[in-house]
Amino acid sequence: MSVHLPHPKQVRDLFAQLLSREVRLGPGSAVTPGERTPASVALYVDDDGRPRAALAWDLHLSVRAAAALGVVPLRHAEVSIKGGSLTESLRENLHEVADVAARLFNDGGATHVRLDALHAAGWALPDEARAAALTLGRREDLAMEIGGYGPGRLSVVLL
Amino acid sequence: MKVLVADDSRVMRQLVIRTLRQAGYGGLEVLHAADGREAVDVTLREQPHLVLSDWDLPLLSGIDALGVLRGAGVTVPFGFVTAETSREVRDRAAAAGAQFVIAKPFGVEDFQEALAGLLPARR
Repeated sequence: MSVHLPHPKQVRDLFAQLLSREVRLGPGSAVTPGERTPASVALYVDDDGRPRAALAWDLHLSVRAAAALGVVPLRHAEVSIKGGSLTESLRENLHEVADVAARLFNDGGATHVRLDALHAAGWALPDEARAAALTLGRREDLAMEIGGYGPGRLSVVLL
Repeated sequence: MKVLVADDSRVMRQLVIRTLRQAGYGGLEVLHAADGREAVDVTLREQPHLVLSDWDLPLLSGIDALGVLRGAGVTVPFGFVTAETSREVRDRAAAAGAQFVIAKPFGVEDFQEALAGLLPARR
């Protein structure tokens, strides 16, 4: 069995329902975690513990998605963007987003995957996670805008 | 009416509660549990009218917590609210005595459909 790249519509619908917000999606550039470009990376493994997929959010989308989930006012969340990292509370929220986002890979009889770890933007990023986000090949790089919160970038990567 | 929400994510517990209220279940006394053992303890002590539990919980999983409760003769209506929605999960949930599985992300209508006949809606 294999892991499938979700259709952008599936990505949009999942985020829209999870965040209870209008979500717009379009082609974007790759999220490339680095020292000057903090990003959140979620790693997904199969039932044997093998890495099979990753999601990477740039700092802007990490903060905005996490804030939207918890209905945190945007002006409070923007402090995290200026500071370059997620607060503990926003990190917890983004973990929940990442956990639910496993559904993107689990529909249609594909290999079952689950969230193994979320490395939040501005916190320590293991080399393995950074490499996963930069993997070439089967990936989608998307520009997402969350209604009431603003835009950011999301990369969906199969490993 | 008491409802226990068991999830290790505080924000998810808040979302479940908010959606319950939007679904017409206002005026609830909401109990919280952040792990499976706490879910069992709170259920035995407070005797809620409904338990809503995540599948994966620290210390004791949701399915194992349900097993403990059913083994103790507790018949409280129990449902899972989880991102794990495979056929296997649904079958295991039903076999263990759960009344429903609500998939994350969820909407108001998911709760209305699952709880119809289990809890009277209050508006």
